[in-house]
Formats: sequence, structure tokens, C-alpha cells
Amino acid sequence: MALVSGPGRAAGTLSDQELHIAKHVAYIQNLDTRKDELEYWLTEHLRLNGVYWGLTALHLLGHPEALPRDQTIDFVLSCQNDNGGFGAAPGHDAHMLYTVSAVQILITVDAIDELDRRGLGGKQKVGSFIASLQNKEDGSFMGDQWGETDTRFLYGALNALSLLNLLDFVDIPKAVSYVQSCENLDGAYGVTPGAESHSGQVFTCVGALAIAGRMDLINQDRLGAWLSERQTDKGGFNGRPEKLPDACYAWWVGSSLAMINRLHWIDGKKLASFVLQCQDPEAGGFADRPGNMVDVYHTLFGIAGLSLLGYEGLQEIDPIYCMPKSVVERCLSQR
Amino acid sequence: MASHGVRRYKITEKTPEEKERELRKINEYKSLERQVAEKVTAKEYSAETLQEISDLLSRNPEYYTVWNHRRQVLRHRFSKDELSSSEIAELISDDLTFLLPLLRSFPKCYWIWNYRVWLLDEARRLLPLDMSRQFWQQELALVSKMLTLDSRNFHGWGYRRLVVSTLQQIGTPTEAASLTQQEFEYAKKMIGANLSNFSAWHYRTKLILQLLEEQTASDEERRRMLNDELELIHQALIDPYDQSLWFYHQNLMCVFDPTLAPRTMAPNLSVSERVEYLRNEIVYIEEMLDGAEDCKYIYQALIDCMLSIAKVVGQLSTEDRSQILGWLSKVKQLDPLRKNRWLDFEKTLATL
Repeated sequence: MALVSGPGRAAGTLSDQELHIAKHVAYIQNLDTRKDELEYWLTEHLRLNGVYWGLTALHLLGHPEALPRDQTIDFVLSCQNDNGGFGAAPGHDAHMLYTVSAVQILITVDAIDELDRRGLGGKQKVGSFIASLQNKEDGSFMGDQWGETDTRFLYGALNALSLLNLLDFVDIPKAVSYVQSCENLDGAYGVTPGAESHSGQVFTCVGALAIAGRMDLINQDRLGAWLSERQTDKGGFNGRPEKLPDACYAWWVGSSLAMINRLHWIDGKKLASFVLQCQDPEAGGFADRPGNMVDVYHTLFGIAGLSLLGYEGLQEIDPIYCMPKSVVERCLSQR
Repeated sequence: MASHGVRRYKITEKTPEEKERELRKINEYKSLERQVAEKVTAKEYSAETLQEISDLLSRNPEYYTVWNHRRQVLRHRFSKDELSSSEIAELISDDLTFLLPLLRSFPKCYWIWNYRVWLLDEARRLLPLDMSRQFWQQELALVSKMLTLDSRNFHGWGYRRLVVSTLQQIGTPTEAASLTQQEFEYAKKMIGANLSNFSAWHYRTKLILQLLEEQTASDEERRRMLNDELELIHQALIDPYDQSLWFYHQNLMCVFDPTLAPRTMAPNLSVSERVEYLRNEIVYIEEMLDGAEDCKYIYQALIDCMLSIAKVVGQLSTEDRSQILGWLSKVKQLDPLRKNRWLDFEKTLATL
């Protein structure tokens, strides 16, 4: 089981506004057949993320069975470390980023019980690994034992723990106040306190507050204004003021707007048009911008952006979890 | 993380020779990877292992597990009993040098930046203060160089903030204060080089708060700072089409918003002062319309100022409301992408 690396040719034009579902499915399925390319091996450190990106995209495209379920589960479990966390691939160190992907994948294929059956120490151990990365003083989270702190990890922790129904393993009020300390006067959020607002971090901070049930802390009009200004004249979103648009921000910005009920503040048609121009109509996959190389990361976030916009033929995505809405509903209703 | 900004190229079928070459490269890489893994498992933390780790990371700086291996090897070497401070410093210095070409080639790779921070924290943990401070001090020059190459690099700015705050923690209060001033000058220089650089403007907003705090500035001094900043942004706004400038302007206007004022540089202005500032600002911004009637940011700023007045005095007068409606009709016309945002605002306005 393996996925990630890129080559394919993104080449949409304005006249080509069709979503090439079959091509994208084939593109994702073929990612694991490229073991004769050095690139495949150079991207092993992203493998488990890659499985999550590919699998989620396939679910949105209406082809959830396109990756073999058993092999997917086996691969996920093979990435677990003794401390309960997951690495990117077998033999890679445990890290928050891959642990979250592991949980998301297992939930998506409805196999979270496999953690108790075949995992090391069950759900509890995964939850403990995540909880061990919280800074007890300020509520922030590290990516791993080596100390990098980033609101991405805080969001990841809350995402995975809530899916595991183990949110009580961590100090939520402290995590919430840490998120607040990353808010700037423009209403948006940065990677740490004092850092410039960035759309990717906005997604993580708003997502974390949504999971914590503290959307009341967001200045929604102000944030909505900042987010809506991310749409550029050609329709695509950028991540910060005066930067180039990129297909993945269709997700980071779009989902944030959706979480604060302001997705209608931007021009969805123009956004969809930009995203569609980023696909490779022949070999499948999406790139960051029209004319660039495709990869599975932009493939998921491009498709997820289209799904948010209610694009025809796509399954609905959950803006908080970046997983199929039906999957999240199934998981959360089993409490 | 993914292939950002790589132009597409035509993929052609590989010749048998090319396939052969690719396969050789894969085998080479995989065998190096295996060697490193075996040695680390065997806790063989030798100079040779470190060299192989360096080779592997130079081929693939995204390989986070191998960065962790490197930490283990270094930790092992640091902990040898008879090592003097200067020997430890030399190890750290060599390792910092190893990172330089990688950072230059992969300036957006999280793992390299993280590793560098870890290394500098090790210096702080293991060396006498004056020695570790030297290491941290040198980082300012490095990050300045990185930010000259890409003045919006997110990692670069984050790293700069971290280096500065660490230097301030390990320095005396006087040193800390002079560093804030120095950084303020740096941000000014970066803004001067490119007015659109919002990263630099953002840094300026944070530095101003810090400067005033360190000086335990009086309300009068804070007001003077505010006046200087208003003058600066007015000069910059000669190009009213630049979004970065307007976000800085918006940041300044928070001073007059009663709910946001406590988080700004001049939190204690009186009601009448706030209103006066805002009225003056409206006059000033309206003049900008001359020759830039199609610039939506101007109308947006006018609306925001007027709304702030309503917030300060607790009501929106009929006259002010009709002005807002006039500007709003222009924005709706100039900003079709965000049409629904303005329609929503129009509805909210009716309830004010």
C-alpha cells in the first residue's frame, strides 16, 4: 500500500470545465504502481498522509472501494510505533501528522476497532500518544517528542481524539486559549502566537474551535472578511494577502468559510472554474495552479474544495474533519 | 509537502537505458537508507554513521525520521564524558554549517528549520551562556539572508521571531529592548524594499506593541506613535490598490474600535478622541478617491471607519447611514466576487 508522488500533467483550460472523475480515480489507484521511479521512494515520508489524501478523494469521487480495504488496514497498522503513535511508513518515527491520518483512514474504512484487535495497546494507547504531546502549561501541541509546536498539531490532536471519543485525554480549555492567543486583529490566525495570519492555520484553528464547541470565540464577520479577500480575480484563493492562488486553498479557505457559515461570501462558480483548470484531463490528478505538475495532495484538496461547493457528482465533505460527511456522521452518532 | 509551483512537463516513455539508470539510483538510495537504519538500530553512533546520515539527508531532506537519527547521534556524542565546551561548540558549529546549503536549496522544508532550532536549543542546554548566545546571535544574519531571497517565506519569519525572542530571554533587559528597536528598523527596511510585503507589516504591528510595552510608554507617547503610523500608512497608500497596505490600515483602525482597542497600541483614547480621529480619517480617505474612483478598498475603509464611529458613540446617525449606503453601492458594483458578503452587510446595516 503506498501513495503520494506526482508526475502527471495539469493542463486545464477555461474551455475545459468538466470534472474527469474516472481519470482521477485511475490516477490515485496507479500511485502505488510507480515503484520504478526514484520519486516514489523519496516521498515515503508522506506515505500514510498520501493514503489518507487518496482514499478520501476516492470516497468523494464516489469510488470508496477503489483501494483494497484489507491492504489499507494492514498498511496503516504496519506504521504503528511502540509508543502508540504512527509513522509515515513502516520503520518511520511516530508523529502527530501520521497518527491523525491513521485514525482518519481507519474511521473512513470503518475499521477503528482493528486498533483494539490488532494494534499496539488499542485506541487508548493512540490517545495517550497524542495526549503526551500536549504542553500542559499553555495547551499547545507538539508534532513529536522533539518539540516543534504548531496549531496544525493542536487541530490534528482534537480531530483524532474526537474521532476516537477520547477528547477527555487532553486539556481542552487550555488548547482553546492557545488557539485564541494565535488570533490576530484581522480576525485570522497564525501558526504560533505572534505569527502572521495564514489560511492553512485558519483552517486548523477554526476546526479546533469547532471540535471544542467554542465557535463563539471567533469574530466571524471579521474573519469572514479576511477569508473572502483571499479570492483573487481569476477565482482561485491565495493563502495570504498579495500571494498567488493555489488549488489547495479552495479547501483551507473554503472549509473555514463553511465552518463560519459564510461560504456564500465568495464566487463559487469562479472558484470551481479555477480548480477545474488545475486538473490534468488526460492522466488525472490536480496541481497547485493550471499548467503545473499534479500530486495527490492537491488532488484531494482540489476535489474537497469542489465538494464544499456542492459540485455535481461528488460526495459531500465535512468541513471540520476533511472526511466524507457520511463517515463523520456515522462515527459521531455511534457514541 | 507537495509539488508546489513545478511546471508541468511532458512525460515520455523511458528508454531501457534511462530505466536502468533510474533503477540504479533507487538501489543506491535504498541501500544507503538500509545502512543508516541498521547502524542506528545497533546504536552505532560513529562519525561514519553521521556521514551516511548527511548523505541521505542531502538526497532527501524531507526524511524526518533520519533527522531524528541525526539528533540521536549528536546527543550521544555530546554526552561523552571528557568533552569540553569548546569541543561541543565545534560539533554544533559543524552541524549548523552542514544545514546551510540544504536550507538554501529547500527553504520551505519544515524539518530542516526544526532541526536547526533543536540544535540551537542544545547549544543553550549544554554551553555556557556567552557561548550559546553567540550561536543564536549569528542566526539573525542567516535569517536576514533567507528573507532577502524570499521576503514572504513563512518559515523565515517564524524563525526570525523565535531567534529574537530567545535572544531576549537570554539577554539583559537593556539588550532585549535594543533588539526590539533593531527589529523595528529591520521591519521598516523590509517594508521600504517592498511595500506589498505584508509579512513585514505584520511584524511591525507586533514590534510596536512590544516597543511601547518595554518603554512603559505613557498614553501621550502611545498617541504619538499612532500619529506617526497614520502618517506612514497615508504616504504608502499613494498606491491604493495594494491589499497589504489596507490590512495594515485596518490594523491601525482597531485602535478606535472600543472592543478591539485593548489589544492595540493606544488603548486609552477617550470617546471624543476616537471620533475625532475617525472623522479626520474619513476626510483623508475620501480624498484618495480622486483618480481612484474604481478602488474598492477605499470605499471599504470608509465604511469601516463610519461603523467604528457608530460603535464608539453607540448609534448610527441618519446622515452617516446614508453615506455608508452610498459607499456600499459602489463596493457592490466594484466587487462582484464578494457580492453576497455585501448583501449580508446591507441586511445587518438595516438593523443598526
